[in-house]
Amino acid sequence: MKKLHRRSFLKGGLAGGAAIAAVGTSKHAEAAGSFGGYPDSMGVLVDLTKCVGCRTCEAACNKEQGLPAPDKSFDDPSVFEEKREGGLPRRTTEKAYTVVQKYDVPGREHPLFRKVQCNHCNEPACLTSCFVNAYKKTPEGAVMYDHTVCVGCRTCMVACPFYIPAYSYSSAINPVVKKCIMCYDTRLKFGKPPACVEACPQEVMTFGKRKDLLKMAHQRISDKPGAYVDHVYGETEVGGTAWMYLSDVPFDKIGYDTHLGDQPIISYVKEFLTIVPMVLTIWPALFTGFHLLSNRKEALKNEDTKS
Amino acid sequence: MNSLQSQGFAPIVSHLKKDGSEWTVKEKLLLGLSPKEYWAVQLRNPFNWVLWVIYAVGLPILVGRFIYGLGWVTHSSYDYPWGLFLGWGLFTMVPLSASGFMMGTTVELFGRKDFKPLERLGLLNGLLGYLFAVMFLQVDLGQPWRLIYPMFVSLGPAAVLFLVAWHVATYLSCQVAELVPAFAEWMNFPKAKQFIKKIVLGLTVAGIILSTLHQGALGALFTYAPGKVHPLWYSSSFQWFQFFVSAVFAGLSMLIVVSTLSKWFMRWRCDETYLNNLSKLTLGLAKGASLALITYLVIRIIGIAHDNDWQYLATGWGAWFMFEMVVGVILPLIFYTMAVRNSNASLARFSAFLAVFGLALNRLNTALITFNWQLYQEIPHWREVVIVVTVYATHIVVYRAILARMPILYTWKENK
Amino acid sequence: MGGRKKTLMGMAALMLLTAPTGAQSWAADGPGTVELGSLANHYSAVTFDHAMHVGVATSCADCHHHTTGLAPTDPNCVRCHKAGAQAQSVSCKDCHSDKRFSPEDLEKTGGNPQLYHKGKLGLKGAYHQKCLGCHTTMGGPTGCQDCHARNDQGDAFFHSGKYAPAPKASGGHGGGH
Repeated sequence: MKKLHRRSFLKGGLAGGAAIAAVGTSKHAEAAGSFGGYPDSMGVLVDLTKCVGCRTCEAACNKEQGLPAPDKSFDDPSVFEEKREGGLPRRTTEKAYTVVQKYDVPGREHPLFRKVQCNHCNEPACLTSCFVNAYKKTPEGAVMYDHTVCVGCRTCMVACPFYIPAYSYSSAINPVVKKCIMCYDTRLKFGKPPACVEACPQEVMTFGKRKDLLKMAHQRISDKPGAYVDHVYGETEVGGTAWMYLSDVPFDKIGYDTHLGDQPIISYVKEFLTIVPMVLTIWPALFTGFHLLSNRKEALKNEDTKS
Repeated sequence: MNSLQSQGFAPIVSHLKKDGSEWTVKEKLLLGLSPKEYWAVQLRNPFNWVLWVIYAVGLPILVGRFIYGLGWVTHSSYDYPWGLFLGWGLFTMVPLSASGFMMGTTVELFGRKDFKPLERLGLLNGLLGYLFAVMFLQVDLGQPWRLIYPMFVSLGPAAVLFLVAWHVATYLSCQVAELVPAFAEWMNFPKAKQFIKKIVLGLTVAGIILSTLHQGALGALFTYAPGKVHPLWYSSSFQWFQFFVSAVFAGLSMLIVVSTLSKWFMRWRCDETYLNNLSKLTLGLAKGASLALITYLVIRIIGIAHDNDWQYLATGWGAWFMFEMVVGVILPLIFYTMAVRNSNASLARFSAFLAVFGLALNRLNTALITFNWQLYQEIPHWREVVIVVTVYATHIVVYRAILARMPILYTWKENK
Repeated sequence: MGGRKKTLMGMAALMLLTAPTGAQSWAADGPGTVELGSLANHYSAVTFDHAMHVGVATSCADCHHHTTGLAPTDPNCVRCHKAGAQAQSVSCKDCHSDKRFSPEDLEKTGGNPQLYHKGKLGLKGAYHQKCLGCHTTMGGPTGCQDCHARNDQGDAFFHSGKYAPAPKASGGHGGGH
């Protein structure tokens, strides 16, 4: 190999290094801490023992968010029999930010109805996965989405452990993510409850500060022993969610994933994110060292010819 | 073209024609043939007939994707947001394009000048693979005109995809720069070549850093969905490392595959240096690939041990896992080793095809087949398949066009 | 005061007490019917047959819990309400807010650390849980329109009746899943 000119090497190394440094900024959460939510953020406690499957919440959401007309009336119970691929129950779509599912539970006199919508996690997976920072956890508790910066990579849909975000694939010029925003723009910002909470005739949902709701939930469980499964779903799941659930039926029997663990999704990614600065700092010296090592014979030869 | 060569056709290898005059750019583009001759050659080639059928069906559908939206070419799945565009175009193509940084490192950093005949092919394979990965990405993105948003409009630096976006963009520039010498020779821009020569070490180190991180990052993307990928394919701690190590042997194996194909189908373009050294270099690449393969095999086993997923081996998915490991890792490992020991380049080539297949299977398994293993199986929309075939056909067309012209498979004769 | 005056004043007091609930007719224990219309929006007001329910209830406290002066039997309630004091009013709306979860309501419940019944239902929830609770166990109307007919605004809200969407042709592509 020709003689390595120090100047040209430094030039090249600096050029390469500068290129790396420009892309190397990878801000990652403190290793020790976890967020746990804003202290006064709001939440919703959903008491599934009270839901009768009337779907007023779906109608209220549709109206509040200006969603397109549904395929079936909101008082049409045949929607509960609709199954998607794999025999799975209905889920949120680009036209429906919240849906009610029906579960026939053996031994339970009436079917259990479960309301599904974005759970507004404390440390949302969608937020941590978005490379254009389109998601924001507001201090009020809602996880908001900015459709003006979304590129449509759909990583948030892959990341969400609850399979909530939908995408408006039907739009050719402005497809965006569609999900419950807890009525932030029209209600939550002003301290008002989401439309579904207000509309529910059975007051299945209780709106309040998340920390108060947790106390209330555990109080309810202890006030009526045996009436509830002794678990508030969303208290700790994936780092805790703003929307939490009480049920008289074990959660895994009514469509909830009970193997999510208590770690927010970002914990699983932190290991790799830690590697990034290590590679950025170690690789240049390491591989330059390899290069010098592999070139030592030639370098020595060049020195011999010089002297 | 191969048959033309037997009739006495000599491909362009320098600026000057036999009579001393210079080739024009147009003549260079037409491979030194007259336009009539050139099109006659194109019409005769059966592979081109296949391409024309592909484009006749695929081009309208590709255009339709942008007119009617993703809903027209996919199943509009909310459960399966990613399909073949990313499963093949990004997750499979990118590791197969790792030949770029592998060859750059081997020749420029480790000083293994004996691999120089294959260096440019490795670099070109890398560059085109990444370029078309971006093409696939543009087909897949909901709003492809916003591709630059993570760079200049709204940055989300904590996201793994942010790293992938920046790295692919920067690395593409690196690879273009590394191929400038070949282009400069062909177009007679000596200053450009000299400039690149000065910074080639920096470019190479940059390439290694960028490649390590983004090959690993593609794996780390799946750590956002720990429960969605089947445990035998998901490792909580080593996902990124598995993707990086497999990229090493994938890039080397793909280079063997491409060099074999060039030897078979573009023999007219290959010069003596290339053809005479090819078998020896193939075995050299096989050595490197086998080292990466054994490392990968160990890491996959450790990944299962670390998460204590042994019980899954006894299931249906376990059988599928064994198939991928045997056909895609263990057999290539054995065959590569045997090939090196017995100096059998043909066995190494066969092994390379197996390894490439195995890598593709691994990426498709992780991204599509075992993804949502607890829900249901998703079969891509037929239009999605057509578009993938069309874009990949374009990749091959561009590849072929460059190989036929620029000094990749042959050495340019510098005339003063 | 003369006897007649006393009766008149008593009746006036009763009328004043129950006036906001609208038209009603009298029976032995409270009004015969009560018009529940303060929350009417998508549905018409409920004409509640109070007299009939007096007939099927075992005690006033079945519905007017915590307000009639009878000691509660639920062990959770007995803890604090052993004495079972009589409330100012037995009317549902006088304890259960019709502006549940409004900022003012949240201020009252959330801001008071001494308040035990932070989860006290709003008026709509109280009506439905109380009524439907019994109706499901004892047999009674449980359908929405069994108690209150939906009005035109309600039909539009539910995309039902004349606002119902046209039945879709089956097997459309792009349905999303």
